[in-house]
Amino acid sequence: MKDHPVQTKVTNCRSTVGRILLEAMLVAVAGAVFAFAANQVSPRGLSLARNYFPTGIPDAMRASASANPPETPIGTNSTALASPPSLAGPMKQKELQLIDGHRAVQLFHDAHLKSGTIVFIDARDEEHYQAGHIPGAYEFDPYHPEKYFSAVWPVCQAADQIVVYCHGGDCDDSQTAALLLRDVGEANRKLFIFGGGITEWTNNHQPVEIGARNSGNLSTAIP
Amino acid sequence: MTNDHPIRTAAVLNLFTVLARWLLGVAFLFLGLAKALHPVDFLKLMHQYDLTQNAWLLNLVAASLPWFELFCGLLLLAGVAVRGTALTLTVMLVPFTLLVLQRALLLRAVWHIPFCAVKFDCGCGTGGEFICRKLLENFLLIALSAWLLAGRGRQFCARYRLFGR
Repeated sequence: MKDHPVQTKVTNCRSTVGRILLEAMLVAVAGAVFAFAANQVSPRGLSLARNYFPTGIPDAMRASASANPPETPIGTNSTALASPPSLAGPMKQKELQLIDGHRAVQLFHDAHLKSGTIVFIDARDEEHYQAGHIPGAYEFDPYHPEKYFSAVWPVCQAADQIVVYCHGGDCDDSQTAALLLRDVGEANRKLFIFGGGITEWTNNHQPVEIGARNSGNLSTAIP
Repeated sequence: MTNDHPIRTAAVLNLFTVLARWLLGVAFLFLGLAKALHPVDFLKLMHQYDLTQNAWLLNLVAASLPWFELFCGLLLLAGVAVRGTALTLTVMLVPFTLLVLQRALLLRAVWHIPFCAVKFDCGCGTGGEFICRKLLENFLLIALSAWLLAGRGRQFCARYRLFGR
């Protein structure tokens, strides 16, 4: 017996949908295999095992800092490590101003810090901030601005110089944070990136504050 | 009277679909490549969505998504498994657009600015963009994918469908 035309149409439609679904699944599987292989082959590929959002200063770096203390007193010297030269290019491209550890220390000891015309912004995540930050620095994780913006924005508006930092080295979260502030209306001239970040700060045996802002729990190393 | 009109309409629709396929292909090729060339930047942008706390999983998504987009772009340009690819892209685009929208709403609430003034880098491969423009672009991509899913424009395809005639 011949099928009713409507029934035939429904059967055809079902088979087409099934075919498209099957095709989509095949595309997804082949695409995933291709993507995985391409990432492995690509010189810029991501390492799946690496944590790109590291927690704190690497032990090796910390050990090296303890083994080679600065020879001159804190904040008055040329022992501040030069900010990574690799940062200069991208900074210029983004029209951001880069400062080195020496300048960051100067600003930290400037009387204007207390009056709030100089502020330090820590662009690392909460865990790192709590583990140790530049004393008085405000927490501003640029990947979760909604958490910190209401506290940081009025402070930035009142300030004349805003120093933003993160871990240092190839970390660019400070740039992300500065660009975010600039995007919502902060003047570019007020924004400074401390390229060496907390790594350079602690390497120079500058004080860090552990826990919340103004906790008063100071140390010269991140525990 | 002749039947020229419906034939011409079908031809125009087919031509439009071929162009739509190529446009979508080039778009995904470009977007995928832009991200694949800067995977760490893309990873950091993915981080803002809080999709997962698992570093390995986040790395996997950030490492594979750009190349996956590139793969889909190539399939569309060559005309291979067109409807399956269009479905895959639609399934990817819809939730991602909703994520971007959610993020923009959150930022609007925090910054106290009009919705269309919200500008951020959503990790789409086009850099920082105003949200209304971004949403419009995404809706266009979704519409084109859905159009291809409908099954027109089979010209210039290496293998329009993988299964059946």
